[in-house]
Amino acid sequence: MGKSKTSALSFAPLLLLFLLPLLLSLLLILPGFADVGAFKTFFAHPQFFGGLKLTLFTGLASTAVSLVFAILITASLLKNRSTEAGAFLALPHLAFAIGFGFLIAPAGLLSRFIGVAFTGATSPPAWVTTQDPYGLALTAALVLKETPFLVWAISAVLQRDDMQRGLRAQLAVAQALGHGFASAWLRVVLPQVLPLVRWPLVAVLAYGLTVVDMALVIGPTQPPTLAQVIWTDLIDADAAMNARGAAGVLTLSFVILLLLWVVGLLLRLGSPYTRKFNSSTSPSLNIPIAELAQIWGLWRLSYAAVGLMLVLQSISGLWPFPNLLAEHFTAKAWQTGVENPAPILTSLIIALVASALGLAANVAWLEWQPTSRDRVMLAAALFTLCLPSLVLGLGEYRLLLQLGLTGTAMGLFMVHVVPAVAYQFILLYGPYRGFDGRWRSAAQGLGTPPWRTLTIIKWPLLKAPLLAAFAVGFAVAIAQYVPAQLAAAGRYSTLPIEAVTLTTGSNRALLAAYALLLMAMPLCVFVTASRLGRSRWMVA
Amino acid sequence: MLEIRNATLAIPGRTLLKPFSLAVAAGEIVTLMGPSGSGKSSLLSYIGGDLDHTLQASGDIVLNGVPLNGVPPHRRRIGRLFQDDLLFPHMTVGENLLFAIASPQDRLPKMRAALESVQLGGFKDRPPHTLSGGQRARVSLMRTLLSEPLAVLLDEPFNKLDAKLRASVRDLTFQHITSRNIPALLVTHDAGDAPSKGRVLMISDDGSVQHV
Repeated sequence: MGKSKTSALSFAPLLLLFLLPLLLSLLLILPGFADVGAFKTFFAHPQFFGGLKLTLFTGLASTAVSLVFAILITASLLKNRSTEAGAFLALPHLAFAIGFGFLIAPAGLLSRFIGVAFTGATSPPAWVTTQDPYGLALTAALVLKETPFLVWAISAVLQRDDMQRGLRAQLAVAQALGHGFASAWLRVVLPQVLPLVRWPLVAVLAYGLTVVDMALVIGPTQPPTLAQVIWTDLIDADAAMNARGAAGVLTLSFVILLLLWVVGLLLRLGSPYTRKFNSSTSPSLNIPIAELAQIWGLWRLSYAAVGLMLVLQSISGLWPFPNLLAEHFTAKAWQTGVENPAPILTSLIIALVASALGLAANVAWLEWQPTSRDRVMLAAALFTLCLPSLVLGLGEYRLLLQLGLTGTAMGLFMVHVVPAVAYQFILLYGPYRGFDGRWRSAAQGLGTPPWRTLTIIKWPLLKAPLLAAFAVGFAVAIAQYVPAQLAAAGRYSTLPIEAVTLTTGSNRALLAAYALLLMAMPLCVFVTASRLGRSRWMVA
Repeated sequence: MLEIRNATLAIPGRTLLKPFSLAVAAGEIVTLMGPSGSGKSSLLSYIGGDLDHTLQASGDIVLNGVPLNGVPPHRRRIGRLFQDDLLFPHMTVGENLLFAIASPQDRLPKMRAALESVQLGGFKDRPPHTLSGGQRARVSLMRTLLSEPLAVLLDEPFNKLDAKLRASVRDLTFQHITSRNIPALLVTHDAGDAPSKGRVLMISDDGSVQHV
């Protein structure tokens, strides 16, 4: 096969699965800017200002608190400890929010436990713990879900060979110069690491400001966050409401850009002060930062509690307060799930296919495309990571409308594969491009043809990152709610769609069962990928 | 005086350093040599208080009569210079020096004086990467000295410098250390780096330490 033909063939999959849908989706959102009337009606929405305030609070507070926790937790990483942040990432936000909501609800396991162990209360507390008017439950859920992502991002930087060597040595120097570990960490390490995780931080902020599925489960309702207001408009049968929702999406995007600009400005204005702080010796900051990192245990505990809560809720019959366990257990919810397997199978098949094809397309690009084109792809992937699902979902929906693909399996597949590909590329890019070319040279020097070199040398050596990318693609695809709901147009149902629908009903057991499945499937894929990815050899 | 009493060093299954003792007097620079992997740098880490947990070490470290075992690295007042200058890249040259000055008084004059003493008076606001290797080495030395250490550990600090620069940075380092009466331990694999009149110790393959 000619070189140009190989290049075109390896370019086509990512072009078709990712770049083209992304570009066209974004282009199709732009005409919305011309609809001045829709903007007027959106700004006149009775819940606009209340929603905006809540959006800003939940988005900014959850990002700031997650960052503080991530900084504390990662402080231990240069002291030879590691975290299992990756496993937490596998759990979809929606499933976590459902379990967390059950856990902290007035009649949830937490208040039952407090009642039995401490207060002796015989009825649930009267105060609101989920869907509270201040968005505190949503903020807490976002912090619990986003902190592992930031821990993972900071760890990825810290555990790079060059960074680890350099920063360890710099920490030693800083301590030899009289700074305690916390001072050295905050003044020397952190200022070098934070700029390298700016994209994950932007992604966390954008997610916090625009999250729909979690907000529908445990977010405030009177008023709701702006994303919920917009979502209600987008799925309305009335075209005028849809237009108002589209104006809302553009407004929310503008709010994100404005916030990023303000944060950038504040960082620039504060730069002389942070520089002064970094080069000073006071305050001496003698705080046990490495010991505070033990707070990571809280994440293990909360994820385990959420999992346990979902298991109990999915099999519980009558469960009067304050009993810690239900009066009887039943498999009715699971039976219902088995009798109506469509959402489960649809989600499973789409996630498997999207992840497999996404992985193949990424590998084709990385294997046969010149490295000079990686920058475009990397930029597009990072951009997608930071793109709110409302923006991408709306654009994709309009694209599907143009192509006549709404409510089709093809359309549903497309909206699942786009984000999966982006995450996979970011994960694979480093290991694949960093592969030591001498292995290939050595194999080819022994007379091995190129294709066999790939299948028996390169891909087996890259087994761990390839499988990890598959698992990440699967987890990302199976968790899609906003784009899936819009693309499915009521003709298909997936696990997230079904779970969100159930949150408004009274069948808690079935909701818990779906959430548990949504949690368990990516986790199983992650565990399998990590077991299969273990090397049986050591590279000297 | 920096004293090392019955120090040993081991990795699981192998002894790197058999028990040995050493006293380094004020203003004295003792050179420790040995093959790669013999534990020279690890010994310095043990003295400095940040030995990797995969290594096992024992023995007492005493500085001016004060035992240092259990004292965290930042409270030991032991300055260190490494193969790389390790200037903090996110700080200017001046900020790197200020970072080391503990006293809140006269920070700026002290920083300026230190830079002028090594002919780098106009470099205060320069980022470290814009300096030459020799200039960076001088800033690194002054940063260590500004922390007013009671002892200095030199972990092959001249290794990455070219021959001409190496001699001048070495002389400058030794001159500043001896003029301040600071005890220093130099680890190197190049005998040419050792001060001409100082004691030289050699770690042999079996982990014993002998005077050369």
